[in-house]
Amino acid sequence: MQSTIQSAKMFYILIAIVAVSSLYFVVPGVIVAEESPRTFLTHTGLVIQTTGDVIDPIGYDGQALDFDPDKFMKEFDYGEVTVLDDGTILREYYITARDDQIMEVSPGVFYNVWTFNDSVPGPTIRATEGDLVRIHFTNEGSKPHSLHFHGIHKAEMDGVFESIGTGGKFTYEFYAEPVGLHLYHCHVHPVEEHINHGLYGAYIVDPKEPREPADEFVFVLNGFDTDFDGENNFYAANTVPFYYQHHPIEINANQNIRAYVVNILEFDAVNNFHLHGTLFHHYPAGTDTVPSGYNDMLTMSQGDRQILEFNYKYPGLYMFHAHNTEFSEKGWVSSFLVKENTDDFDTQVEYDDII
Amino acid sequence: MTSSKPVLAISAIAPIVLLIIMIAFLLGPASSFLQFGIVLPEVSIEKIEFTRNEIQATVRNTGPVNVNVVLADVNDRIQPAAIEPDTSLERFETALVRIPFDWNEGQPYEIGVTIDDGTRFAKGVEAAFPSLEPDLDLFVFLGMIGFLIGVVPIMIGLLWYPFIKKLGKNAFNFFLAFTMGLLIFLGIDAVIEATEISKNHLSSVFNGELLIATVIILSFLALYGIGKKLTQKTEFSKLSKGLAISLMIAIGIGFHNLGEGLAVGAAIALGEVALSTFFIVGFATHNTTEGLAIAAPLTSTKAKIVKMIGLGLIAGVPAIFGTWIGGFSFSPFFILIFLAIGAGAIFQVVLSIFHYMNEKSDLLSNTSLFAGISAGLIVMYLTSVII
Repeated sequence: MQSTIQSAKMFYILIAIVAVSSLYFVVPGVIVAEESPRTFLTHTGLVIQTTGDVIDPIGYDGQALDFDPDKFMKEFDYGEVTVLDDGTILREYYITARDDQIMEVSPGVFYNVWTFNDSVPGPTIRATEGDLVRIHFTNEGSKPHSLHFHGIHKAEMDGVFESIGTGGKFTYEFYAEPVGLHLYHCHVHPVEEHINHGLYGAYIVDPKEPREPADEFVFVLNGFDTDFDGENNFYAANTVPFYYQHHPIEINANQNIRAYVVNILEFDAVNNFHLHGTLFHHYPAGTDTVPSGYNDMLTMSQGDRQILEFNYKYPGLYMFHAHNTEFSEKGWVSSFLVKENTDDFDTQVEYDDII
Repeated sequence: MTSSKPVLAISAIAPIVLLIIMIAFLLGPASSFLQFGIVLPEVSIEKIEFTRNEIQATVRNTGPVNVNVVLADVNDRIQPAAIEPDTSLERFETALVRIPFDWNEGQPYEIGVTIDDGTRFAKGVEAAFPSLEPDLDLFVFLGMIGFLIGVVPIMIGLLWYPFIKKLGKNAFNFFLAFTMGLLIFLGIDAVIEATEISKNHLSSVFNGELLIATVIILSFLALYGIGKKLTQKTEFSKLSKGLAISLMIAIGIGFHNLGEGLAVGAAIALGEVALSTFFIVGFATHNTTEGLAIAAPLTSTKAKIVKMIGLGLIAGVPAIFGTWIGGFSFSPFFILIFLAIGAGAIFQVVLSIFHYMNEKSDLLSNTSLFAGISAGLIVMYLTSVII
């Protein structure tokens, strides 16, 4: 009798211990010492008061991202120039593919990017019609990669059937043609995966007779499926979601603006581009000298690109973004800050004429 | 015996010491040797609340590694948010994600969070419902609900006492068996409800189903011990055996009603049920049978009204506490545990009644047993359909 009472007691003690220790898992949120709340302004203009952290894709501690969209949008790679005996201009470029880098694609979100020259997108390759383009490609990645350029070239320079293995090198050579805005990307199967990870870039062929002087920008419309469910988690113009919304691109009123817009978005069949406050003339693939329309909306399929020419009449802050609001609310939203043009001359040639 | 005590202690402790050494070895020197496979992080959204111009989600790190919650979204659209206490979540740690959002009542929403490796976790709400303000009005309201679904129906059920008392032996056995049927049904119902809560609200890391099984068995054993003592006491006290059985039933049903009250309170707080009069009517009808279950064993003795009311309160009042606790602080874990305790208690009570009946007559030749259990189950099923 005594022992049964003893064991019964033990049993209840055991239950009590289990019950008390389970509290650790049950009660949500441990008591936190009172802190005075701080106030934040969010990227949508809301005010948040909190004692905790703010999670907003623009990044509140102002940390530098691995990729600088401001630098990228105005950076053109003209290559190393040599004039050949017959007068042809040879442009040599060096592109290295890697697939082991981790990039902060949005504040706090780290993603394994595959890169051309350590960047997503890769460098904007720029040449003039008729130039001989020679690209020294090295694959330092762990997987096979290749360079596939849009444009006119020989089949063996197409970068599709010959993938370059780890540590391999290949020299792509072709004449820059036709005039226009093209793109390049890795064409190794599965292409979707190689593009989602970041192996692409813009390729511009300028006409021999230069285009009208203008303030020029490159916008590569891209996205990232960071959890591999076949849907993009982030959308952007030039990789970083919401970047230009908080770092408006400064331009002048009454100045010619030329935007090279490349759509390399995976998973979504169409992307689009909507400009506020003015309309643009647009040139599909930039191959024609006559604009095919005057609009403030562009609809682009995968691999489509357009050259846009426009100017602003009035100064102020103007958005440009995907009119597909899902994309814009996941990062593809940007803005121009149009300033009063005080200069007498209304244009400045932005790209250096090498020859 | 006394001389071997140190030896006994050492033999008890030695395996534990060796186990600790082995764990230390595996975590320390051998840890790199044992690393294989891919470790996937996991975050669970446990609760979503809608307050004035804000959506609040309680998230818990239910994975094996520490994570940072770096992004929040509503309906898969990125929204700025605050996270308290901070973005970093250790194993099992929770945080409150506060998303300023002008939500619309009655509309479905999906709330998502993205962690540092880009993985998104989401949970849906069928209809946005403003969180209840924890004030006196809510306290009274929840108390009323608990009273209506717990205390009142049981008291009504007890009123069958005079009727059952006048019945013959076979009819009495039938009603005892009927009670067993009711209780078996209640027990199964509680297990199913607990399983559902585990599935919908509890992260798989807690092994909800195993927890339910564990708690049911523990509760059964604990009440079996208590029941044994109570019935032993009856041999040398005024407490009659019938009353002891009734008390056991009342305690078992009390636990059950605590769990049920928790579930109802939580459902009210989360806005998961359209709380209509119909819902209350159904619940009350269903629970009236619980009063009958308490009344039946009492008929073999002289029961005073005060005692009966006391038993009714033991069984019914926990429902009020349940609705309060569930309504003011929702914890799927507590609901699950109390439903499981209730189930274990009820199964133990069924066994007690069986023993009690078996002492009085040879049960297996008694058709009223089978008829009673069947009738009890069927009545419970039919009243459950009404809810």
